[in-house]
Amino acid sequence: MMRSGLLRACFLLMAAALLLPAASIRAQSSGGIYGSQSGTTNFEAQLIWGTNEKQSDPKLKPADPKLVEKLQKSPFKWNYYFEMHKENFKLKLNEEKTVTMSRNCVISVTCLKDEQVKFQLIGKGKLANTVTQELPKGRLLITGGDAENSTAWFVVLKQVE
Amino acid sequence: MTEEQQLKVQAFLDGELPESDGREMAAWLASDPDASALLGELKNTRSALKAFDSPPSVKLPESREFYWSKIKREIERTAPATAPEPKASLFHWFRRVLMPLGTVAALALVGVVAIHTFSGGRHPMPMAANVMLGDPGALTYRDDAQDMTVVWLSYPAENKFAEKSSSDTLSPK
Repeated sequence: MMRSGLLRACFLLMAAALLLPAASIRAQSSGGIYGSQSGTTNFEAQLIWGTNEKQSDPKLKPADPKLVEKLQKSPFKWNYYFEMHKENFKLKLNEEKTVTMSRNCVISVTCLKDEQVKFQLIGKGKLANTVTQELPKGRLLITGGDAENSTAWFVVLKQVE
Repeated sequence: MTEEQQLKVQAFLDGELPESDGREMAAWLASDPDASALLGELKNTRSALKAFDSPPSVKLPESREFYWSKIKREIERTAPATAPEPKASLFHWFRRVLMPLGTVAALALVGVVAIHTFSGGRHPMPMAANVMLGDPGALTYRDDAQDMTVVWLSYPAENKFAEKSSSDTLSPK
């Protein structure tokens, strides 16, 4: 009697351990950003230039202060950030889009399931880097690198309304 | 009788006394019954101990190897036969397989429940950025407080994606 009770308890625990994560994954995927009613997700990509020198060129547009605040709290901080280019685009699930940020900088973004995006950076027609990661609303995916004269470039990707 | 006199009796018996002392001792032993009794007792003791000086050798009727082999055979004969391997029953199989599995499942269940409890159904640890490329110089910085991930590429400056002095880089296309 006791043995059969023990076996039954083992079976129940195993079943629960298998079913609960599956239910959790299903709940998360159904509520993900890509399960929106329109079936598309809006993204914004920005090319940012960071420099420590004050710039007098009136054509340079200062970057969004919220973005500047975030960047200045990171190890990749510069005194001034300028928005060199901004592009908004929509993606469906599993859709890939190539966006030209500058003549030398092209990005390719693919909308994946479970709030993930695949971000590819293409420099001078050559794939330079691929990042696949979760990108829910409010989160920034920033790719950056050194530029000339101790300045830096950043490509900022985020989801927008 | 003093201890010294007793030792002299022992020395007399062992023939260790000088001749003159020996004669005196013999006369004393003849006149003193206690000394005479001690001498008799010491003689008996010595004769008894002599018997142990050359103990009779015990000869085995057979060789040592054969003697021990007989013991070994007897042990093997009298030892109970090895118990037959119990037939594996279904219950034993269940117990052997399912109990560890049940333990693992219980731990997994506790882990899942804890994750759901403490994370409110969200990922407790956001998935780490997965940087893929044959570029060992890429550095990923993740700041959950600022809600951002920075992938820093250590390309040399001449590999420009964005160059202020060049009209085809940072400047709008």
